[in-house]
Amino acid sequence: MDLLRRWVARQFTTRVIVLMPVAIAINIVLGATIQQALKLPIYLDSIGTILVGVLAGPLAGALTGILANLIWGYLLPAPVGSSTIGPFAITAGVIGLLAGIWGQLGLFRPRRTGAVNVIGAVVAVVLVGALAVYTYARAYASPEAFNNNVSGNSAITIDQSKVFFLVVMLVYVVLVAWAIFLRRNVGAVYAIGAGLVTGIAAAVVSAPIAAVVYGGVTGSGTDALVAAFRAGGDSLYQATLKQGLLSDPMDKMITSFVVFFIIGSLSRRFIARFPNGERALGDEAEAGAPAASES
Amino acid sequence: MASSAPGAGLPEYVTRRAGGFYRSANPSTKLAIAALEVVAAFVVPGWPGPLLVLGAVLATAAAARRLRGLGVIALAASPIVGSILLVNLFLLPGASDPIARFGPLAPTWSGLWFGLQTAARLFAFSAAIALVYLTTAVDDLLADLARRGLGRRAIFVVGAAVQMVPRTIERAGEIVDAQRARGMDTEGRFWQRARGIVPLAAPVVFGALTEVEERTMALDARAFSAPGRQTLLRVPADRAPDRVLRWAAVLAVVAIVGLRVAGRLG
Amino acid sequence: MAIELSAVRYRYAGASRPALQSVDLRLDPGRVLGVAGANESGKTTLCLVAGGFAPGVVGGRLEGSARIDGAETTSIPAHALALHCGLLFQNPATQLSNTTATVFEEVGFGPCNLGLAVSEVIERVWWALKTVGIEDLAPRDPARLSGGQGQLVALASVLALRPRYLILDEPTSELDPAGTALVGEALARVAAETGAGILLVEHKTEVLARIADEVVVLREGSVALAGPAAAVLADSILAELGVEPPARVALERDVRAAGLDWPAALAEGIG
Repeated sequence: MDLLRRWVARQFTTRVIVLMPVAIAINIVLGATIQQALKLPIYLDSIGTILVGVLAGPLAGALTGILANLIWGYLLPAPVGSSTIGPFAITAGVIGLLAGIWGQLGLFRPRRTGAVNVIGAVVAVVLVGALAVYTYARAYASPEAFNNNVSGNSAITIDQSKVFFLVVMLVYVVLVAWAIFLRRNVGAVYAIGAGLVTGIAAAVVSAPIAAVVYGGVTGSGTDALVAAFRAGGDSLYQATLKQGLLSDPMDKMITSFVVFFIIGSLSRRFIARFPNGERALGDEAEAGAPAASES
Repeated sequence: MASSAPGAGLPEYVTRRAGGFYRSANPSTKLAIAALEVVAAFVVPGWPGPLLVLGAVLATAAAARRLRGLGVIALAASPIVGSILLVNLFLLPGASDPIARFGPLAPTWSGLWFGLQTAARLFAFSAAIALVYLTTAVDDLLADLARRGLGRRAIFVVGAAVQMVPRTIERAGEIVDAQRARGMDTEGRFWQRARGIVPLAAPVVFGALTEVEERTMALDARAFSAPGRQTLLRVPADRAPDRVLRWAAVLAVVAIVGLRVAGRLG
Repeated sequence: MAIELSAVRYRYAGASRPALQSVDLRLDPGRVLGVAGANESGKTTLCLVAGGFAPGVVGGRLEGSARIDGAETTSIPAHALALHCGLLFQNPATQLSNTTATVFEEVGFGPCNLGLAVSEVIERVWWALKTVGIEDLAPRDPARLSGGQGQLVALASVLALRPRYLILDEPTSELDPAGTALVGEALARVAAETGAGILLVEHKTEVLARIADEVVVLREGSVALAGPAAAVLADSILAELGVEPPARVALERDVRAAGLDWPAALAEGIG
């Protein structure tokens, strides 16, 4: 019991308490403005959440996400305030929690492009790919197969699941290639892989919320997609899940990518002072590239 | 300024009590009532739930002179409400009572019914919550929660976040202006807009992050991590009617959920 | 009763070189000790170490002894540090708590954190506001003040904790001349009326010339020069150490260099 209390207290130092409102403000401001500018189902409203999770731990990350949603939904007036984001606080909490775990596992560390790291990266890609294949096969199975809990090739509606899965993996590969060839940083593979897994989890958690509270719609363009799935006979839950599995992984992959580079750009001195900082940084030797200048 | 003379207790600009119907009610009571309204809107099946809640919220808002605020909420919720209506109107699975046929499109009565109900439920939910923040200052809400035991760290995070959002938006706006003055195109086609994001987002993010160190030390320099309960200079009133209402609301929530679970609400 | 640094050597977490090499320093209550030096000479680090914030709040490794009133700073818990030493930094905006709506509540933030009784908090707030001279700012919104006013509010907030020592890290560096003058006057008043020991890091040696009793000059993490303020600020070695001497000193030097007399009456007049 005391160990638990100490684990909790360790994650909420004054520095973390100061970082959280900054992260929440970043979530809200970036989320609102980027959504306006790009008009894509890419929200980038979890940057702060994932950043806090990686730097401070799962509990702090989860709370940042939850509070950000609640504040955005219920404490800020329009036009900044969003009337639909509140109930998704649970999803945001899960995102922050996962980010904390990834941070503890060191998945956001910068890594040189050396032999060991590349092999590790390949293994990671395979693992993540396998998880994605399973999830997409289950989700995009025909409605009968989905409801009867049958999985496996015989029940897959081949076209749908393959198309969506390929789209997501394509985005993954593009981001990773950019990181490796232009920035020489294999660590991005792990970070983006973590983002993919986080995105899948987010979609799975959001689907029931969207279905129950909003009847599956959010007032944005993706509703047409949900409607199309519904027309094809999918249940409400399955339709929102399919839509989520398309937009959430992409959004979280890009967000994790961004957080990875933000962490890489901050000075070691700054990061080392956070509860999870040492683990987020790893050894200087492993990082390869010269440490960012002391600020 | 007689009210600010030393030794006279807290100056009036600190205690600043809110006035007006419902606005002067205790924040926690308003929260409890909102919770009751949300539960009623979702748990009570069919029309009575959302309609009763909407009626109550509108009446309270009118009495508290906050109808215009609710109107703004309604406007903000219109895209999603429209979506809900459209999707359910045309695509409710299993609906077989069409209103008319326009080629392949067949809006159904059950679709319309269900869509309206879902929309009403959603609007009741949003309105109930909006009523709380339309009639309560964030300061007061946090102070009341602090009095009931919410820790200073949580209070700080929420309070500081709420203050920081407008300030960050201002800063983002300044950066946008500065970039525009340097010739960045903010209106153009998709790719241009996408590329323009990094020079906008990066300064906002890094500017906010570099302040963390200074803010941390400033907080510690003001004994922020001292143990024990912090002193509260201002607490919203919590009168007998507030307490009664609050408990009544909590009991009502339990009752509604219980009845629904026991299948008595049909 | 003093802040004493003996053979202090300090390195930040994750840094390769120590920021302070070997520093000996003493600050007594009621005295004003000025600190000058070029950029990156360790002035900010000195403030943090003297106040116990390094290593307490920012981590890092401290060798040697840093004591406040006889107790090692490493043995004082972080929240108690503020009761011994009030720390002030350069940027007024980041020193606001961002949770208060009036200057009164902002200055009361510290005492409230300590859990003092409301009457005690009120008394301390008015005392701090009066000492700094900003009672008329009490109802204002802390986020809407000028830079100089913001620093005065920060000063009052820290004073409200009644620390025995005040450590200020370049408090006027982001202020215009008017703001600098405001803060300088307030500091002089605080020094006179509260009996606190003040450690003042300043680039603007004019301020040091006005209120410091002794001055220490740092170079690359160690003390290069120390002594009474007038003597140190008139020392010709200042320029080499990257410190600009006060205007008066420079003027006197130029006048004498031109072969003219620097009459005593003039010296007293500018003084």
